[in-house]
Amino acid sequence: MTRGTLRRAVRLLDLDPRRFALALLLGTLALGCAVALAAVSAWLIARASQMPPVLQLSVATVAVRAFGIGRGVLRYLERLVSHDVALRGMTELRTTLYERLAAARPETLLRLRRGDLLARVGADVDTVGDVVVRGLLPAGVAVALGAGTVLAMCAFWPPAGLALGGCLVLAGVVAPAIAARAARTTEQRALQSRADMTATALGLLDDAGPLLVGGRASAELDALRDSDRRLAAATDAGAGSAAIAAGLGQLSVGVAMLAALLTGVPAVGAGLLSPVELAVVVLTPLAAFEATSLLPAAAIQVQRSRAAAGRVLALLDAPTDPPATDDAPGQPPLVATDLACGWPGTPPVLTDLSLDLRRGRSVAIVGPSGTGKTTTLLTLAGLLPRQTGTLTLDGHDVDHLDRHAVAAAVVVGTEDAHVFGTTVLENLRVARGELTATEATDVLARVGLADWLVGLPDGLDTVVGPDARTVSGGERRRLLVARALVSPAPLLLVDEPAEHLDPERADALVTDLLNDPRGVVVVVTHRLSPLAAADEVLLLGAGRVRARGTHAELLRTVPDYRDAWARERGSD
Amino acid sequence: MRPLDPRLLRHARAARGYVALTAALGVLTAAMVVAQALLLAHALGAAVSDGAQLDVLAPTIGWLAAVVAVRTLVTAVQERFAHRAATRTVAELREQVVAHAVALGPRWLASGEGPSVVTLATRGLDALEPYFVRYLPQLVLAATVTPAVLLVVLGLDWISAAILVVVLPLVPIFMVLVGRLTQGRSEQGLASMQRLGAQVLDLLAGLPTLRAHGRERGPGARVRTLGDAHRQATMGTLRIAFLSGMVLELLTTLSVALVAVAIGLRLVEGRLDLVTGIAVLVLAPEVFLPLRQVGVQFHAAADGVAAAGRAFEVLETPVPAAGTRTAPDLRTATLRLDGVAVRTSGGSTPHGLDLMVRPGTVVALTGPSGVGKTTALEIALGLLRPDDGRVSIDGVDLADLDTATVWAQVSWLPQRPVLEPGTMAELVGGDDESRTTAAALTGLDDVLATLPDGWATPLGRGGAGLSLGQRQRVALTRTLLQRTPLVVLDEPTAHLDAAGEQVVLDTVRALRDAGRTVLLVAHRPSLVAVADDVVLVRSDAQVLA
Repeated sequence: MTRGTLRRAVRLLDLDPRRFALALLLGTLALGCAVALAAVSAWLIARASQMPPVLQLSVATVAVRAFGIGRGVLRYLERLVSHDVALRGMTELRTTLYERLAAARPETLLRLRRGDLLARVGADVDTVGDVVVRGLLPAGVAVALGAGTVLAMCAFWPPAGLALGGCLVLAGVVAPAIAARAARTTEQRALQSRADMTATALGLLDDAGPLLVGGRASAELDALRDSDRRLAAATDAGAGSAAIAAGLGQLSVGVAMLAALLTGVPAVGAGLLSPVELAVVVLTPLAAFEATSLLPAAAIQVQRSRAAAGRVLALLDAPTDPPATDDAPGQPPLVATDLACGWPGTPPVLTDLSLDLRRGRSVAIVGPSGTGKTTTLLTLAGLLPRQTGTLTLDGHDVDHLDRHAVAAAVVVGTEDAHVFGTTVLENLRVARGELTATEATDVLARVGLADWLVGLPDGLDTVVGPDARTVSGGERRRLLVARALVSPAPLLLVDEPAEHLDPERADALVTDLLNDPRGVVVVVTHRLSPLAAADEVLLLGAGRVRARGTHAELLRTVPDYRDAWARERGSD
Repeated sequence: MRPLDPRLLRHARAARGYVALTAALGVLTAAMVVAQALLLAHALGAAVSDGAQLDVLAPTIGWLAAVVAVRTLVTAVQERFAHRAATRTVAELREQVVAHAVALGPRWLASGEGPSVVTLATRGLDALEPYFVRYLPQLVLAATVTPAVLLVVLGLDWISAAILVVVLPLVPIFMVLVGRLTQGRSEQGLASMQRLGAQVLDLLAGLPTLRAHGRERGPGARVRTLGDAHRQATMGTLRIAFLSGMVLELLTTLSVALVAVAIGLRLVEGRLDLVTGIAVLVLAPEVFLPLRQVGVQFHAAADGVAAAGRAFEVLETPVPAAGTRTAPDLRTATLRLDGVAVRTSGGSTPHGLDLMVRPGTVVALTGPSGVGKTTALEIALGLLRPDDGRVSIDGVDLADLDTATVWAQVSWLPQRPVLEPGTMAELVGGDDESRTTAAALTGLDDVLATLPDGWATPLGRGGAGLSLGQRQRVALTRTLLQRTPLVVLDEPTAHLDAAGEQVVLDTVRALRDAGRTVLLVAHRPSLVAVADDVVLVRSDAQVLA
């Protein structure tokens, strides 16, 4: 991570300079009121002790009250303006992020989804935005206020002003730097033990039963205690520096006050400074450190925001989809020749796949679990780059076509697709915006969710939780199949639609899908019985197509297939 | 929120010493604040009114320097131990919560507040750090510095003390008042704020899906609209939330200003001397400083206190009393469930389950998904107490038995096998020969052939590095070698293809041949066919997936 990370991210927040300047001004004035209050009250008291006519004090008495009120009001306004600026920035960054990711290569997105990075990105954007209110603004206010106070004090008595300046640097620059370093030390040292702690705690809570029965629960609790001990040791390593930073802040207030006394008193004797001014010079510094007291926390915030900015920028810099060079509309047939499928940078999970998918033709893919069937579907849909071979839509290379043309022709319903935190109907409309309620009800009935729909409190308008935590695994899967079905695309690729269903319902659903008038590829792990409805069955194994043909042909020629089918029949 | 929950001190030893230290440092700080103000007033007063020079003031300034040094030290010590206390307290609470939650059992963990315990234990309790490091010290200062300074001001000048005393109670009163007035609105605002925030995240998380359907371009504008709505909702909340802060600042700053004016006017009339005036002027803001800091740190601390509160709730959930009798030998004893039911919101799952597991037999539980087959296993294992019915081993109620003595005789293979980190050999156990024989039966030898170091290959937590099917084979092999009288298998063929299924069938037969008892949940008929007894599990709940 380079030094420019945070600057780049802050630039992406696209902060309104006028609003930010206003926040800065209000913040400086608010704390300026506090300093002015201290200075004017010192003057008032010192001057009053010389018993001048009361009228001479009237301006000061009014000013003191005005500053007393001004501080609270200005601070309130500053907080409103600064939060508004920060929130606007976060919206900007989120929108930019969304748009860039929407244009990124599909496999980048899929990878993010797998790594759960997308879930974290929201928090990261917030952390980047927080730098405005908790980092930049306090720093700006401290600089403006510090400079103003030092200049004002220098006007009275330069040595005291300079001493104050030095102490402000100590409290506002050195102490925060130490505090930030301490936080970084702790965080780095704690990283591993924190990960261990989280993993152990998660393991214990997720698998409490098996660990108890297996007699391993106490050993795991010991492991948790051990990682917590290491975590505490890491915290102790940074606590010393944090203590020094806090002490420095306190020390500099005292030193500024002592320096004003030690330099001011002789100056009064020498006639360089009036006694009343001495009171101002000695008592004002006590208020000037309020701005710097926020800076250690601000420095830590800047550091956190920088780390978050690094992660956000890594997403923004994701390679974009190359522009389309072929403007042909995507349409069937989808033809794959000698395709090798696999995640970029890893060995292929399937090689030599040839497939011809056209309207009205249905293909079933069968194979042991973990043989990369989902990867294959993603590759066929053009969402993962193929490793070798060709993939064409109506004779045009899929890589050269516009992404939207491909998506209009081929839609894939994977099992890890997202269920949005909105209504059932809107979730289906992701595939086709103009879907009517009647059509939605029909398609849900088609995937066997009619009873489920009846049981929902608001029917189609029921909100399903974010990523469908409120629906069961089987319901979620079928909702995703329904979404694939309502898509207007002429070719459908469906991943394990019947998982979590009992045999009869599973067979009915797979048969129905295979009989769909569109071109359909259905992936199935077990249950071979419904595959009679498929025009072709591909049996995968050992990273290639082991056998292919109709269900009847495979029963005749592949003993494994026949055995598995017989076992299934025997047990029904 | 309770500022200092006594339960915190009861449950966390690290917190006790820290609170004592903080209190001691708080008293010391109060003394130093007063000393600093008085010394400064004397030095400055003498210099301003009598023109005293450094030679006269040297002792006073020397003492002042000493006070500054002590305050520096106190601040550093406080900070040094605050972090330590926070980490230790969080660790202590975490360990207790996790241990207690584990003792409460898997059913409790899976239901109601169970899932939130995971978040609480791994991240939530960390919110106690700002509470310990920032809030608690200020709270102590509010209890030491504020009254001490007020008393000193009273001794110096009763009029100033009166102004402060009048304003002081207004601070909490106004805070509560503003809080009451705005509570409804800000809660409403907070809810819509969180909802809008979640919707933006939802769009981001669903981006791959939108792309798969070629519909990723439209929602860009929606992200912006949602962001703007989120900002407006948030600002609406903040406008109110910041009010209490403003009232607090207005009251405190204005009262300090009033004190200054009052002192000034009496100085002019000669009714007060300058030293007293300066001392009161310096002390007046110190009365309010801790209160203001408490207000500033309140929100950060509230999260921590809420997290601690949830931790105490978990810790105070009673664990059913454990039995003490030693379990009968399961090689000869029969496990029985009679009329067992577990009540859920929709009905009982399972409902009226009778089950007899005789030694040396294979018993299969069947039934559609959602009728409580896994629950039945958990009841049989003593991890869950049934609401109705009775579980017994050779007539002795399972609740009266020391569950550890039961579990020592059981191997349980849940739907998702649980593997601790270690080498394959360590995980599976047994000697070389028995391992090889068992591995040939379960098909683990095929898996081993693909691993670089065979039996010596280390695996990560949860079997990281192996697929689900491979992990299942490791777990099956271990079960074969463990030689416990009773083996419990929960849907051992789920997620497996035909070959994997055959392995399970062979393993179950081998277990029976070895004279071991097998209780299993079977979805597939092939597995049911292996069983000696088949028990259909029923539920009287209405809605089934």
